[in-house]
Amino acid sequence: MDLTTSNTAIVLDSTADYPDASADFANWRVVPLYVNFGDESYRDGVDLSGPEFYARLPSAQSLPTTSQPTPGDFVAAYKELGDYARIYSLHIGATFSGTYQSAVTAAADLGDGRVRPVDTETASVAITMLGLAIQRRLDRGTTDEEIEELIDRYKREHRLLFTVDTLEFLARGGRIGRAAAFAGELLNVKPILTIEHGEVVPVKRVRGNRKAFQEFVHAVETETTDSTTVHFGTAQAHAPERADEVAKMIRHLRPHADLEVEALLGAVIGTHAGPGAVALFWFTDSV
Amino acid sequence: MTLNGDLEVLQAIVDGALASLEASRQRIDDLNVYPVPDGDTGTNLTLTVRAVADAVDRTSAASRQSLARDVARGALMGARGNSGVIFSQIVRGAADVLGETDGPRIDAHAAALALRGASDAAYRAVRRPVEGTMLSVIRELAEEAEARANEGPALGELLVELVRRGEIAVARTPEQLQVLRDAGVVDAGGAGLLELVRGVAATVSGEPLPAPPPERGQLGIEAVHQELSPYKYCTVFLVEGKDLDRDGLEDDLEKLGDSLLVVGDANALKVHVHTDDPGAALALGTAMGTIDGVEIANMHEQTQDRSARLLAAVPDLPTATTGVVAVVAGDGNRRLFETLAGALGPIAIVEGGQTMNPSTAELLAAVESLPSEQAILLPNNSNVLMAAEQAAANAPRPVHVVAADSIPAGLAAMVAYDGSRSAEENAAEMRDAIAHVATGEVTVASRDVELGGLAIHKGQWLGLAAGDPIAGGDDFTDVAAAVADRLLAEPRDLLTLLTGVDAPPVDALVERIAAGHPDLDVDVRDGGQPHYQLLLSAE
Repeated sequence: MDLTTSNTAIVLDSTADYPDASADFANWRVVPLYVNFGDESYRDGVDLSGPEFYARLPSAQSLPTTSQPTPGDFVAAYKELGDYARIYSLHIGATFSGTYQSAVTAAADLGDGRVRPVDTETASVAITMLGLAIQRRLDRGTTDEEIEELIDRYKREHRLLFTVDTLEFLARGGRIGRAAAFAGELLNVKPILTIEHGEVVPVKRVRGNRKAFQEFVHAVETETTDSTTVHFGTAQAHAPERADEVAKMIRHLRPHADLEVEALLGAVIGTHAGPGAVALFWFTDSV
Repeated sequence: MTLNGDLEVLQAIVDGALASLEASRQRIDDLNVYPVPDGDTGTNLTLTVRAVADAVDRTSAASRQSLARDVARGALMGARGNSGVIFSQIVRGAADVLGETDGPRIDAHAAALALRGASDAAYRAVRRPVEGTMLSVIRELAEEAEARANEGPALGELLVELVRRGEIAVARTPEQLQVLRDAGVVDAGGAGLLELVRGVAATVSGEPLPAPPPERGQLGIEAVHQELSPYKYCTVFLVEGKDLDRDGLEDDLEKLGDSLLVVGDANALKVHVHTDDPGAALALGTAMGTIDGVEIANMHEQTQDRSARLLAAVPDLPTATTGVVAVVAGDGNRRLFETLAGALGPIAIVEGGQTMNPSTAELLAAVESLPSEQAILLPNNSNVLMAAEQAAANAPRPVHVVAADSIPAGLAAMVAYDGSRSAEENAAEMRDAIAHVATGEVTVASRDVELGGLAIHKGQWLGLAAGDPIAGGDDFTDVAAAVADRLLAEPRDLLTLLTGVDAPPVDALVERIAAGHPDLDVDVRDGGQPHYQLLLSAE
């Protein structure tokens, strides 16, 4: 089957931090996770925008919790995309959330074979950037084989680095592995972290955000060339000036590259990363 | 060769050497080139020779060879500071030669061979030997002994000649070394070595020492932190009142623990003691006046609560491959090091620094106390570097010394530490981190000095950058700001200020720095180190 933007849809969950996806692309949808402040539950990015979330966070009695979409939420989204013969449903790593499992359940429940749920083994803008790589292929016409190949390569090759002001938020959510030991809030110590195959992995510690961003730049310098085939994305949790600084450094270092996403971390990822978090993503793709 | 009276002779010689050195300890302490309140060389050498004396007293050696081994071992294990470590190599070089001799007594020929062995061993111990130091003195002694040995003098006669040559060699050290010339002093290590030779000569030749030696007794306050504490609580508080009896309080606290420091004046005394009964220590304070600034840290439970809590979420954290031994002065600094190790791996802190150089044996014991297979050793002071290298070389597991020469440099290294990696990998990352840090300090000049064209009077503030005096004067903020400016000469992101014991307020300093460097992050921490009212680092 020849896949194009008119017969193939892309479904993200809200942890891809792309709330405007369906406005930008007719064949994209976002299924929200839930953010719970006490007894009140909000759909991430629908009932509660990123800016509203960060405005509310300081006065919250306790930190919000998050929960995955129900299979029913996914069934509804897939049904709404009834005109599409193929749906790539791209989700946050199954080690972080039950979202992928909900999507798998929904796809099986529908039983029409249209939906291919993908455990991206990553999070946030990295999910969006996989969607954009698929979209570039749909734009010129592609096949399931080519997309499956791309997804495999993306899992291996896409890179992300992030730093947080405190590991408390990540630790609270559990599953941050050895990165927990990188805690050290004295002396302005910043952990530099990455995600590898669905696990948060510590890279190193530095003092101060600027040092952290220099480490980002250093990694980019070592691992990429200045080419239009290199795609970048940034994300920040209530720290736009930090992300701007990173973006500026990347534009300076790789003027020909494509800085395709500059995102605000939504309520769900924001809950786990904590305010002040900054991330840089990149992937080299000749399409 | 059996002992045959060697032990008694050696005991007499070591006692004679020690007595001679102790008589000059204060004078040698005062010879320090840099006018920081640094009690190093006389104290370090004295403690090192005491360790040799103890080794001689304790030995059960049945042969001259094994006696020589015990002496060399004792010197190494007890070596403190660079001068002590070099001296331990002098002892080893001589012991290696003398242990192999036979014949009932050591003659001039054997003494010449021993001095040559000692000189060679001392030079080997130093990566970049510098003339005008202990090294040139031991070398000249060896040359003198070789020149005279063929005339066949009695050992006592030879030693008297060696003292004469030694005096000339020590007097010449300022000609050989600019830094001594500038400061108007002779080399302290060389001077100490000469006193040791003088003591040996007096013992062997039977001539009396110039002045009667004091008994082996109390050391200065700077030596207090040299022993590892067996006590549980580090207790710090301030006593304020009138006509406070410092000596009386010190005597009473002495009974409660160790690592005792009581400093201050009749109106305010700062107390630092390691004890199992902090309540009793505080009660002594309240009996004299009002107490304030009480800090009691459980030294056996150093992990920060926060780290422990985060760690609790991670059940299967792998055991660390590499731990850290750090030589640290100041409770605040200690906590910073411990926090930076956190859950990343084990850390053992050895108290010490500028005036409290831990011995090789203490560093080794700390390495051995770590549960990890490998270790990083952070001396955090250039005076501790050699002892650290000796400890690393003698440790039964891989130990890499990362040559941090200050507390701030050590902290920068700790930020790069990750216990899950090998010591070698850690050492590379940590050295890289240090390479990007500029450090400085502010202290009180312990005497008048002219260094690098700066005239600084005793009691004035003295600012150093990268170890060099660059500013001095009566205004703390001016001097500290000059050091900060020097560190910030190239663009930096972060300035760290670690305040020491009795540090003046730094608010004005921080304000001035912030005004001149609006983009700079300034991080002020209570380091609590003695002697340096302020440690600075820029990165």
